Amino acid sequence: MFEVRFHGRGGQGAVMAAQTLAEAAVIEGNYAVAFPFFGAERRGAPVLAFTRIDSGKIYSKTQVYTPDCVVVLDDSLLDTIDVVAGLKPDGSVVINSKDAPTDIDLGMEVHTGAVNATSVALEILKAPITNTAILGALAKVTGIVSIESIEAAIKRRFGEKLGEKIGERNAVAARTAYERTVTGKSMGVKRLEQKKQWLPTHQELPVGGALVAGKTDAGLIGPGSFTENNVSGWATFRPVRDREKCTMCLLCWFYCPEGTIVRISDKGDLMTNYDYCKGCGICANECPVDAIKMVRARV
Amino acid sequence: MKLKDLPDENLFTQGHTACPGCGAAMSIRNTIRIFGKDTAVYVPASCAVVFGTTFPLAAWKVPFFHTAFENTGASIAGMKAAYEVKGKDVTVIGFAGDGGTYDIGLQSMSGAAERNDDVLYICLDNEAYMNTGIQRSGGTPFGAWTTTTPVGKKTQGNRTFKKNLAEIVAAHDIPYFATLSIGHPVDFIRKVEKAKSMKGFRFLHMFTPCIPGWKMDPAKTVEVTKLAVESGMWTLFEIENGEKKITYKPQKMKRVKDYLMMQGRFRHMSEEDIKKLQMWVCHKWNLNYNEKGAPGVCEIEPPEEHHGVTEEHREMHGL
Repeated sequence: MFEVRFHGRGGQGAVMAAQTLAEAAVIEGNYAVAFPFFGAERRGAPVLAFTRIDSGKIYSKTQVYTPDCVVVLDDSLLDTIDVVAGLKPDGSVVINSKDAPTDIDLGMEVHTGAVNATSVALEILKAPITNTAILGALAKVTGIVSIESIEAAIKRRFGEKLGEKIGERNAVAARTAYERTVTGKSMGVKRLEQKKQWLPTHQELPVGGALVAGKTDAGLIGPGSFTENNVSGWATFRPVRDREKCTMCLLCWFYCPEGTIVRISDKGDLMTNYDYCKGCGICANECPVDAIKMVRARV
Repeated sequence: MKLKDLPDENLFTQGHTACPGCGAAMSIRNTIRIFGKDTAVYVPASCAVVFGTTFPLAAWKVPFFHTAFENTGASIAGMKAAYEVKGKDVTVIGFAGDGGTYDIGLQSMSGAAERNDDVLYICLDNEAYMNTGIQRSGGTPFGAWTTTTPVGKKTQGNRTFKKNLAEIVAAHDIPYFATLSIGHPVDFIRKVEKAKSMKGFRFLHMFTPCIPGWKMDPAKTVEVTKLAVESGMWTLFEIENGEKKITYKPQKMKRVKDYLMMQGRFRHMSEEDIKKLQMWVCHKWNLNYNEKGAPGVCEIEPPEEHHGVTEEHREMHGL
C-alpha cells in the first residue's frame, strides 16, 4: 500500500489533489481512496488530505499516520507544522518551493522533489491554486503514477466540474511542473518545536469556560489573544504602498478586514503589519489613486 | 464622525482566522471600533464565532458570550438585563448571521423586538449558511448556487427570492432599522453612530460578501458591495420610528447582470433567470424605494452597456 498525506492551505485544492491522484491510480488499474481531514476549514488555514493506493482492495479507513509520501502545497507550512511526522525512512517529500531540495530543511534527510508550483499556477492558471502543478511533481518524484495518467485524471475531474478548457489548462500545469521539478536530498538540521497547548484540568477551568485575558506557558489566552496568531503565511501577495502617491484618504485602513494597516497618529502616516496580512488585495483594489501594488510574498 | 476621526484601537484584534477578504470581519471591526469599550458582544453559531474566538483564543477585547444558534435575541436581552441589575451602562450587541436571523433566530429576535429591549441586533448577511459549507438560507437570492440549491438539468440554483427581512423587523415598530454596506463608509459610520445614540431595540442589517461562498476574487469584496447597491440588489435605507428614508440613490441603475457576473455562484444563470431577477429588483425598487421621476429609476431592460465581464474574468473563474 502506498500512502500519501497532503499538507495545504484552504483554497489551494489539497482535497481535489488527493482525489485526482486516486483517480490517476484507478486509471492505471489500481484501487485507491481519497479523503480530507475534517476541521474548521477557512481559506488560507492549514488543511490535510489523504490518498491510499494499492493493487488490492483497501480496507483501512484511518487517517494516514505513516505516509510513503508527503506533499506540501505551501512551504510556509514548514514553520509551524512538522510535515515529515511519521514519514517512512525510504519515503519521499514533494514540496512547492522556490528553493532546490538541498536548500530545504525538513528536519529529516529524505528524497525530496521541489518545484515552484505557485509560479507555475500563476503563469498557466492565473491563480495561485497549486494542486494540479504539485501532482505533476509528485508523478516525477514517486513514479507511483505516470504523468500521462495524472494528465488524464486532471482532464476528467476538472473538465467535468469546470469545463474542458480549464481541465486542459490544469493538465498543462501538471506537465510543466513535472518538467521543472528538481530532486535531491533535503537537509535534516532543524528540530521543529511543537507549539505548546494550554490544557487546563477541569478544576483549573473557570466556570462556563469564561476567560479573562491572561498569559500561560502556551501564550496569551482570553480577550485579544489572537494577536499572537501570525497569519502572514496565508498570503501569496502582499501590498506595498507608494508613500508619494498616497493621499491619506484612509480607505484602506477602513476596509482592511484584518486591521493590519495601522495608523501612526502623530506622524500622519500608515504602516502595514505583514504579520497579519493575508494578502486579499482589497486595499490595492480600492485605493483611489493606485498607490498600492500587490507583489509576490516570499519570493 | 468622519472616517479620519474613527478611533485607532482594534477592539476586534488582528490575527483572527477569517478568510482573506472577509466582508463580515470588515463590518465587525468597524462597528466595534465605533461602539468602543463599553460594549458586550454576543455571537451565535456562525463564521464569526469560529474566526473570532477559537477557545482559548479570542480576537475580541470586549466581553464576549456565545451559547446556541437560535437565541441571539433572548441572549442579548438577558445580558442587557444583567448589566442593568449591576447598574452598568453597557451596550449589548448581537452579531448574528443571515441563517441565525432569517431562519433559525427569527422567533428570538422577534421576541426581543416586540419587548423593545434596549439592545443592538446586527445581522451580517452573506446570503447563505457559509460556516457549515454554503447551504441556502432565507436570505439567499434567486438563482444563487449553494450546496442545497445545486445547478442541475431541471433546476438551476435557488428558486425563491430573498426574504424581505426589513419589513418583518420593521413591523415590530422598533425605534431604528437600517441597511448598511461596507462599500459606503460615510453612510456606514453615520448609521452605526445613530444606532449607538439611540435606546430600545435597534437593528442593523449589514451586507457582507463571502469569498468562498460567492466564489469570487478576495480583492473584490468592496467592489461587489458597491455594485450590489448600484444595481438595486441591496438598498441602503433606514426606518426611524416607522418612517422610511432612502439614504443612497444610484444616479443610474446598473444592470443586475453586471453584479451577477462577478460571482461564481451566479455564473450558470440563464438569460431568462437573469431577466426574472432583474424584474424582481425593479419591481421592488420602484414600488418601495423610489418616487416617480426621481433619479435611479429602475428599468426592466436598461440599455446595453457592456463592461461587466472581461475575458480575464472568464478565465479566472472558469466561466
